Amino acid sequence: MSDLHWLTAADAARAIAARELSPVELMTALLERIARLDPKLHVFIRLDGEAAMDAARAAEAEVTSGRLRGPLHGVPVGIKDIIDVAGLPTTCHSKILAGNIAAADAVCVSRLRGAGAIVMGKLSTHEFAIGGPSFDLPWPPARNPWNTDHHPGGSSSGSGAGIAAGLFPLALGSDTGGSVRNPASACGIVGLKPTYGLVSRRGVFPLSFTLDHVGTLTRTVADNALMLQIIAGHDPLDPGSAATPAGHYAAGLERGVRGLRIGFIRHFHETDTPADPEVTAGLEHVARTLQAAGAEIRDIRLPALGEFGAVNRIILQSEAWAIHGPWLRERPGDYGRLARRRLLPGAFIGAGDYVQAGRRRLEMIAEVEEALREVDVLMCASAMDPPSRIEDAAETERTYPRQARTPFNVTGHPALAMMAGVSRGGLPLSLQFVGRYFAEATLFQVARAWEHAAGTDEKHPPVL
Amino acid sequence: MDQATIELLARRAGLDKALAEFPDDVAAAAEQASSALARIKVPTDPRAEPWPPMRAGSGL
Repeated sequence: MSDLHWLTAADAARAIAARELSPVELMTALLERIARLDPKLHVFIRLDGEAAMDAARAAEAEVTSGRLRGPLHGVPVGIKDIIDVAGLPTTCHSKILAGNIAAADAVCVSRLRGAGAIVMGKLSTHEFAIGGPSFDLPWPPARNPWNTDHHPGGSSSGSGAGIAAGLFPLALGSDTGGSVRNPASACGIVGLKPTYGLVSRRGVFPLSFTLDHVGTLTRTVADNALMLQIIAGHDPLDPGSAATPAGHYAAGLERGVRGLRIGFIRHFHETDTPADPEVTAGLEHVARTLQAAGAEIRDIRLPALGEFGAVNRIILQSEAWAIHGPWLRERPGDYGRLARRRLLPGAFIGAGDYVQAGRRRLEMIAEVEEALREVDVLMCASAMDPPSRIEDAAETERTYPRQARTPFNVTGHPALAMMAGVSRGGLPLSLQFVGRYFAEATLFQVARAWEHAAGTDEKHPPVL
Repeated sequence: MDQATIELLARRAGLDKALAEFPDDVAAAAEQASSALARIKVPTDPRAEPWPPMRAGSGL
């Protein structure tokens, strides 16, 4: 087999199960690629190569003896470094937690291992999933494989960059204001923030208890559905975990969009936060393509993007202050400048302000629910601009809030970001689909229809 | 928010060290908080509840 690094997780698992591919051969190819590319990309904070190779050998021995652990037997996975992997440091990319060794796997990691996946290591993030890209931390920020002068998005930066660069086919990330969907958008891959509570957060370092979601990053829609199938499900020890049983996420993948009603939220990118013209053109192209494939496209209005962002920030910064207040009082200099600036506002938000944001949140949930009674899926922008130059702090600061992802952390609806096209400058453009609570299968169905029509799963960074 | 109010609130929150070492960051944080608060339409119905609600019987 050639180009093992572009194999999807599903194809790799199938080939391993059929004994057409050895898990050791696959791991060797990926570790060689990491050795060659990661010095430029900075995807890994901690590569656990020896343990990964040992696990690949064990997986091979099991296949030879006729035993398969599950649907990801022998498939490598990368883990964002705010998620616990037993025996490895969870640093959150911060000096504050240097030397913090995880005692046990997070539930999502444990479920992946139970399905046979092999953990390759811990991946770069914005500090505590909020402060980045930063050059004043113990590790450098990850870079975008489409052009290493550019930001790969964040906060799940290493997850997005590593998937796009072909360093591993599956990665876990977290999303509190868009942190799975941002790197998916910037790196031209598929990133899902599931319904709030569908995936356990136990073993994941919190940023904001009522906004945090564990999410999946992959190169294809089918791989994303496969990964979600494994990590979704009730966890009685996560207070936010939903009692709803997991769905059958790949069931409708190839059904197409004929007869589906898609609500296009144009005001987000046309008037609320006017997008780069290439982003707007890309979104209209997606809408026309889906319409030609049989979907009905309707205009939908929701509250203004700026207000969604404000509600998200007040809740996030209040809850984050409860977590970081003690360190910010005693060790403010051990944070990078960006994390410090983004975490300190919680000190200036009153209890009443937090409750008011929660009351407005319920009204916003009702408005999105009303829209989703009219249509099956919503569609809107993800990023309003192509990825910024990573060393241009002013440009990154300007473009970072120009996005439409926070609304669905506020409301908890499932949201998937993926490639809409490639800019004239050779960087990914993106879009977002949003579904009803626990209707991830419908999201995957629509996303797969666009992927199939546009061939986004075949587009890889040219320099690699 | 004026400088005196920022300092008062910061000290009340125990941020003396941050105020001494990173006064610009503290001031920027206060500005961010004010800006976000100004953008919310506070519900006018006094019965409007916050989300998430308390749910008896669904705890651990």
